[in-house]
Amino acid sequence: MRSPAEHRLFYFLPGTGIFGGIKVGCQFASLLNRLGALCVLATPDGSAPTWFRCDVPVVSHATALETIAALGRDRATVLFSLPHDYPQLADSGAHLVFHCQGTDPLIDPILADPDVTLLSCWPQAARYFRERGRDDDIDVGIAISDTFFTGARRKQAGHVAWMPRRGAAIGRAARRRNRHLDFEAIEGSDEETVAGVLKRCEIFLATSENEWFGLPVFEAMAAGAVVLTVPVFGGMDYLKPGENCLVADPSDVPSTLTDLTNRHGEARRARLRHGALATALSLHPQRQARHLTALLNGPLAFLRP
Amino acid sequence: MTSRLTTVILSRDMDTLLRFCLIHLGVAAAAAGLPVHDVVIVDNASIRHLPAALDGAPPYRRLRLDAHTGFSAACNRGATQAPADFYLFLNNDVLLARDALSAMIAAMAADPGLGICGSRLMFPDGTIQHAGVLMAGPPGGPYHVGRRQPPRAVSVSRTDFQAVTGACALVRRETFEALGGFDETFTFGYEDVDLCLRARQAGWRVRCVQAPESLHFESMTPGRQALGAPTLGQFFQRWLGRYTIDG
Repeated sequence: MRSPAEHRLFYFLPGTGIFGGIKVGCQFASLLNRLGALCVLATPDGSAPTWFRCDVPVVSHATALETIAALGRDRATVLFSLPHDYPQLADSGAHLVFHCQGTDPLIDPILADPDVTLLSCWPQAARYFRERGRDDDIDVGIAISDTFFTGARRKQAGHVAWMPRRGAAIGRAARRRNRHLDFEAIEGSDEETVAGVLKRCEIFLATSENEWFGLPVFEAMAAGAVVLTVPVFGGMDYLKPGENCLVADPSDVPSTLTDLTNRHGEARRARLRHGALATALSLHPQRQARHLTALLNGPLAFLRP
Repeated sequence: MTSRLTTVILSRDMDTLLRFCLIHLGVAAAAAGLPVHDVVIVDNASIRHLPAALDGAPPYRRLRLDAHTGFSAACNRGATQAPADFYLFLNNDVLLARDALSAMIAAMAADPGLGICGSRLMFPDGTIQHAGVLMAGPPGGPYHVGRRQPPRAVSVSRTDFQAVTGACALVRRETFEALGGFDETFTFGYEDVDLCLRARQAGWRVRCVQAPESLHFESMTPGRQALGAPTLGQFFQRWLGRYTIDG
């Protein structure tokens, strides 16, 4: 066990806005804290994300960098996920840990740095690492917040939830063709509000193309919604079309939604819902906690206090 | 030479209550293997000066403040009277359970990253007074989890929090000094939460030991409750948007 004078752990975030990467980073930091490795978030101005539940302390980038400079590589570890932060952090002197949340080629310089420890959250990221000659990544997994699993509500038939921030045109086309359905847009809401909508809705329509993972799809699964999604990157490892969701190309989404909500399709929707829940349970935070506990006793022991 | 533990208690009149608080502290200290330790009573402008000794209570040092002083400043001054490895900040209306101090010291000894350790406190009616502090946004702000609920309302396995109450808080000297003690711009209320939030920013953990249960009458000093309300505004001025929400 070490005191803060002997070791500090920071997770650098580029901001606190409503983006999946912010939440995944915070939840990972929170999980580390639960397991005894006190991790402090560093945001540009020291403000805290407040749109989901979390119990991680927050400081500014400047404060964190001052502390790191005073401690040096042996006593400071920095987790980060935005590739843009890499150049500055590489100069900070800390031991860097890249918590990969997307395989944009922008991450290639990070993969080329042998001093950076790599954490992968899903198989597609690990495959991307292999293609660039890195096979030493540590799979830490990803989890859906507890909020989506608990407090079930009565489902409303024909209620379709969607997030227009990305793929709005796809959603609008689906709505035009399916006027008999009740569409609810989720925009700029905190996690609890989103969870409330997903627990009520029968269908979750994921219209965001080119998502690295697409966490809302899995949150919808945890909330008992039937998922119709456009293809994504990392999340495809967990999507089993016809078993736990339907995957449709953007142009096919309106007709697939019509087919899915057919009044004779209740058994099919129930089957998809059950398959989805099984997938969601495989991404339960308790499961990730068990996995991370083992890693903290092994390759990630350097993160422990 | 520093002693291992210094207990700092603020007192304003209410000598009988203080006497029982000290008697319980003495029993808890002996159970923790600290039969002799420094106790500093900060006499916060009592109308009748605190006597040099109270019948049946362990010995203590007196620090007389003639002007009524805020909790933070008074605690900070009390701590400087007897430097120690750990400071126990204790309200005069807390009656420690026999093993409460042992449990807190054991938690500190087991984890050098633990900066502040609180303890579960109960109201006389058997409901929870303190089992950890959860952080909500405005208008309520920080609140005691499970307050006025039966003991089982908060799992005893839940120990890590963003903050604990200063009514009974064991603080590591290294933590206390690194943070400059309680922030004296807080007068009465939320200085404990502020200290805990700053401690966690500095990489220290904050924990609430959930067993055994001690007794806390809460705000027994006359006029105490009215003093706390304005400090919430001050707390939000400093912290709003700078702490994560877990409550």
